[in-house]
Amino acid sequence: MNLSINGPKILWKIPVGDLFTITITETVLASCIVTWGLILACYFLGKNLKKRPDGKQVIVEKLVTMLYNMVEDTMGKHNMHFAPYIGALFLSSMFGSLISTLGFFRSSTADLSTTATWAIMTIVVVWASNIRENGLLSWLKSFTEPIFIMTPMNIISEFATPVSMAFRHFGNVLGGSVLMTLIYSALAILSSLVFGWLPGFLGEIPFLQVGIPAAFSLYFDFFSGAIQALVFCMLSMVYIGLANPPRDELGRTSYQAQKAAKKAAKEASNAS
Amino acid sequence: MTEEMTLLSANDEEIALVNEVGTEEPVPENESEYEGVIGLDVWTMIFTFCNLLLLFYFARKFLFKPVKKMIDSRQKEIDDLYDDAGKAKTEAEEFRAEYEVKLENATAESEEIMRRAVRNAQLKEEEILKQARDEAAKTLQRAEEQIDKERKQAMEDIKNDVSDVAIDIAKAVLDREITAKEHHALIDGFIEKLGE
Repeated sequence: MNLSINGPKILWKIPVGDLFTITITETVLASCIVTWGLILACYFLGKNLKKRPDGKQVIVEKLVTMLYNMVEDTMGKHNMHFAPYIGALFLSSMFGSLISTLGFFRSSTADLSTTATWAIMTIVVVWASNIRENGLLSWLKSFTEPIFIMTPMNIISEFATPVSMAFRHFGNVLGGSVLMTLIYSALAILSSLVFGWLPGFLGEIPFLQVGIPAAFSLYFDFFSGAIQALVFCMLSMVYIGLANPPRDELGRTSYQAQKAAKKAAKEASNAS
Repeated sequence: MTEEMTLLSANDEEIALVNEVGTEEPVPENESEYEGVIGLDVWTMIFTFCNLLLLFYFARKFLFKPVKKMIDSRQKEIDDLYDDAGKAKTEAEEFRAEYEVKLENATAESEEIMRRAVRNAQLKEEEILKQARDEAAKTLQRAEEQIDKERKQAMEDIKNDVSDVAIDIAKAVLDREITAKEHHALIDGFIEKLGE
């Protein structure tokens, strides 16, 4: 019996001149299908909104409100503009994991490239926010705190954040699919042991594969997929939220406020 | 049954854990290619990046913004309604207080009017009674005068009648014609006796 666990299959290779070749893997296919499916769903759910909502709109509004409440709780009222990004991330992640249950596709999140891209996007937003918040120099200087010796540790921990996020999500989904594959083959073996004596083709039908994997799939695919999407979004929200503290009453970051204060002090000393 | 677990990997740089029990089978040339189980592929990353940005843009445009706007506008409408209702209530309270004061004033006023009306009525009553009494007195007086006059008239009439009767009687008594001179003398003498 051959049981192999592969990475995403390469479906097409599209050469672009002699420079490079675009490879379309199962991951890309699943990701595109999920994206366009969700965009279509958003389009149909978001049009014809009424003041007096019907059943469909009530559910959509409830979900959107839940998202906005979650973003407000973890990131604060001043970071509400991140809510659509978090929502898109959550939907991509959850449906990217769940698409494998259709049977025709491989989970887009079972590919490290996918989760790593999302983790890198999050960490880039965090870094950009930090630089805007504190200025490039004081951000770099913050790595040497509390003492200089801590610098390598700080840098490692900064890079560990996206790496751990990417691997956590990827590992959970891949682990789930590996486990499901193992369960299927184990049930096939068990089935052939128990029902192998049946005459003809009846002996070859893996009866035990009916129903039993569904219970495991409920956990490894559905529950795990939803939880990992939630965890990934939660972490993204926390990191981005921490990097975007509330602005002062003039809408300035602490860096801008400091700069303005310094400039004012200089002008005052020049005047006197 | 030989069990072979292979983590197949197309890229040479990827980990290829080969857990062999039996003999190693060479991967056929024509078999489809796979990416590594743990590995980063640039094109997948580019596609993923673009897909997430696309979803972000369209989800925000089609779903999040309109829904949020709808929820907010509904919330605002409800808040306005409640505000209006509160305003109307305080207004009504004010009106009520005002009307209560007015009502109290009105009661006092109506009592005053009533009292005045009663007093007027009493005055009028007295006046009417007095008038009636005067009228009655006058009527009585007039009646007495009338009676007096009529009695005198009657007296006069009777005097005349009596004189005629007396003449007739006298004629009968005397049974003869008397002269006019005698006649008059007789009457006067009779009347004088009558007047006593």
